[in-house]
Amino acid sequence: MPKNPLHTKLCDMLGIEFPIIAFTHCKDVVAAVVNAGGFAVLGEAMHTPDDIAADIKWIRGRVGSKPFGIDLVLPASAPPADTLEKLLAGIPEAHRQFARSIKERYQIPDPKGAQALHQWGGLNQEIARKQLEVILEERVPVFTSGLGNPAFILEAAHARGIKVFGLIGKTRQAKREIDAGVDAIIAQGYDAAGHTGPIGTFCIVPEVVAIAGDTPVIAAGGVTTGRHLAAALCLGAAGVWTGTVWLATRESDSDMIIKEKLVAAASDDTVYSRSVSGFPMRVLRCPWTEEWEKPEAPRVLPSPYQMLLSSDYIQGANDHRRADLMFEAAGQGVAFVDAMKPARQVVFDMVEEALATFEGLTGEVSDAG
Amino acid sequence: MQANPTASRAGFDVTVAGRRAECDGGGPIAGTRFATREEFAGTLTGEYVDHGDPPWRWYLMVNLVRRPDGYPSDAVWCESGNLFFLEE
Repeated sequence: MPKNPLHTKLCDMLGIEFPIIAFTHCKDVVAAVVNAGGFAVLGEAMHTPDDIAADIKWIRGRVGSKPFGIDLVLPASAPPADTLEKLLAGIPEAHRQFARSIKERYQIPDPKGAQALHQWGGLNQEIARKQLEVILEERVPVFTSGLGNPAFILEAAHARGIKVFGLIGKTRQAKREIDAGVDAIIAQGYDAAGHTGPIGTFCIVPEVVAIAGDTPVIAAGGVTTGRHLAAALCLGAAGVWTGTVWLATRESDSDMIIKEKLVAAASDDTVYSRSVSGFPMRVLRCPWTEEWEKPEAPRVLPSPYQMLLSSDYIQGANDHRRADLMFEAAGQGVAFVDAMKPARQVVFDMVEEALATFEGLTGEVSDAG
Repeated sequence: MQANPTASRAGFDVTVAGRRAECDGGGPIAGTRFATREEFAGTLTGEYVDHGDPPWRWYLMVNLVRRPDGYPSDAVWCESGNLFFLEE
């Protein structure tokens, strides 16, 4: 009987049924995916240590002994401490005027309350250390570093039985982290939402596989369907890291307007833009990103100036649920998000389609069922 | 782990002072739940800060010959695990 092509070394490592990892900011999605036989990682970069501890307790109450992960965005660089103060001294008037012109043209309402600009920007390593302390104390089954190299925490994590995954955008980063001893490496391609590496998923994954040895490689960036899962395994990956598809699930706490936009979007409805924060990130196109791409637009400001400009647009749009203005980070795989399904159905659909893909290639029926 | 796992200590590492390096940097974006990647290249001064225990080492890079468009300084702190020496 043919082997189950979806049973990989990642499944053995984590004790999961399917090599599908959901990255999400929603606890309900974590619980649903884990209980459906996949694996899920909760993004906690913006949360306080107390909130992280509470979320871990909440998840454990719903998944029991099944494993799950917590993701933090460990910073990898930071400007000198006095730079922010210098920056905040003022935003050029031409830029303020351009932002005002967008606000007038699109009749963007004022935010209902004070702008929710969180101060945690990764510039304070002390906060990151406090977040990490919670991960260690709670002995979370898996810690994933969504950006920086987690090498410094590996020994302490492993001593507590915590597995550590690193997410990278370049092969040399992968080599550095694999050499340090991470338990798995997430190779993220340019197709991904938010911050991405410069290399496409179809190249970065086999590049990293070639140097990974026995370390499982997880493919990220544009992965949305069972065909993507099958392709990733064919590239040598041991699993997939998925994000955008979960935003539109029934359990997701995303606004219904955002879910509808995700379902309607095509790949080229995403844009890799600096206009939101001053940093490049992939998001759904919206009037804000469109206006800043026009020839008459001033040069996008560095962070945090640009975020100070865009926050009025973002919060005004969200507070008043203006469908024509709202946007979300989304990867190019959004083209394949075509319904608001329960998260467990997304898992099962991916599995079924991946198996059908393999069976179509080999002409054999796997023993997965 | 030490009593204060987040305490920081500054120091100087003569073995990296003056060496040219690249930093695959980035970090969370203030005001959002997202992050970004940023690339730098320059010269390490040798100054470092260890954050917490086990030490999380950051080196100071100056004389930047590569930095993100609009980056507002000629210096950047780089996490040691994301530094790549150009002479290697």
